[in-house]
Amino acid sequence: MLSKFEYYKPDSLEKALSYLEENPGTRILAGGTDLMILLRRNVEICDHLLDIKGIPETRIKSYSPEEGLFIGASITVNEICEDDEIRKMFPALSEAADNLASYQIRNRATLVGNICNASPGADLAAPLLVYDAKVHVVSLKGKRVVDIKEFFTGVKQTVLEENEIVVGVTLPAVEAGDTSVYLRKSRIKGHDLCNVGLALRLTSEKKLLMAIAAVAKTPLRLTELEKSVEGKEITPELAEWISEEIKNYMSPRPNSVRSSAEYRYHIAGVLVKRGLKKLIEKEAN
Amino acid sequence: MCNHNKERSCFEYVDSQLPRVPLELVVNGEKVYELIDPTMTLLDFLRHNLKLFGAKEGCGEGECGACTVIMNNRTVNSCLVLAVEAQGAEILTVEGLSKDGELSILQQEFIKYDALQCGFCTPGMLMSARALLDRNPNPTIEEVKEAISGNFCRCTGYESIINAVLSAAKREREELR
Repeated sequence: MLSKFEYYKPDSLEKALSYLEENPGTRILAGGTDLMILLRRNVEICDHLLDIKGIPETRIKSYSPEEGLFIGASITVNEICEDDEIRKMFPALSEAADNLASYQIRNRATLVGNICNASPGADLAAPLLVYDAKVHVVSLKGKRVVDIKEFFTGVKQTVLEENEIVVGVTLPAVEAGDTSVYLRKSRIKGHDLCNVGLALRLTSEKKLLMAIAAVAKTPLRLTELEKSVEGKEITPELAEWISEEIKNYMSPRPNSVRSSAEYRYHIAGVLVKRGLKKLIEKEAN
Repeated sequence: MCNHNKERSCFEYVDSQLPRVPLELVVNGEKVYELIDPTMTLLDFLRHNLKLFGAKEGCGEGECGACTVIMNNRTVNSCLVLAVEAQGAEILTVEGLSKDGELSILQQEFIKYDALQCGFCTPGMLMSARALLDRNPNPTIEEVKEAISGNFCRCTGYESIINAVLSAAKREREELR
């Protein structure tokens, strides 16, 4: 590692924000499962490393019917997998968490880190998109709440400024009868990045919400497609129609090492049909 | 020579020469206090400073699991954890599995089932298996597979490893209760 960084682990948000303000170019460290690789490969050289795991606000995981589910920036993916309440209320989130990397990585990787890293194929992005998650961002200037739909701006790019920290995300509470699924296709079952990740949610008012990852520069919420199927009953014919229509929203890279664009177009359609079937089955139970 | 940095093998530990920082932690039940390089990984610290050569560096990027150790009852890829992040932590490495010169049940079953060929993945496999049996004394085959999903065996002897873990689970349930 060529980086010669100062490591700083503050015990309060205020200290962390001041440090960020005083030291431009600081990299924020949570689980480190993405950042450490960049540093060790010398893809990135940094002078300041800010470990946020000591900040009390980032350690919070809480739920209330008014506030919804809050997941702090230090909450690991396995902490989400192991939470039965989350699995009951936000099944797509748990299913995506189950599929992220390997067991050891999930012990360190965080949900907030997954979205801040902003990989187009971030597994946890699609479920957050269908649950209209809100990203809580703070800096010395104050707080702002960013809708997850506005959060990603490009490959590995977000709306975050250099002096800002994401403290956590909230998922608005769901009503009884709300259900969701997450499906992914990767080359191997197990530790691999996804070729396509798809989250489908059926709300208690029978509205179908859809988000897809790894098929464009950012994970996508398919709001237009949702509008065009609003009020329609989910039938095999509709599933067939969506599985074709969804391709108009995709722009996969032609030269990815993981799969060809044609394959992604095809498999997205397959996942839509499988996902809708699972969703209907879940709803019936 | 690695592909990522033409000048220097980037995964080889190189002292940053930065001012030392204090690190206090417990490794295999023993308190350790050292002044360390803030840029070294937990794996570098275990191998370089403590001369615990059980945990291996395979890929250096969290893919292979050869560096797996247990940190505060959770398996981690020690190549992706900075040593300074382990401040106050309790670390268990493969060297801490045996007691008074006697191999643990898990290690005995690995030998009985020939669950090692070249042996490079074995310390990591053992730690992932140990953490599994600690949280789930009666795992199914699927749960064992899931638990070692982050550990590669390039000799591909997975079958024997899974059988060894299942057998160790059975023996531990019978003998340690």
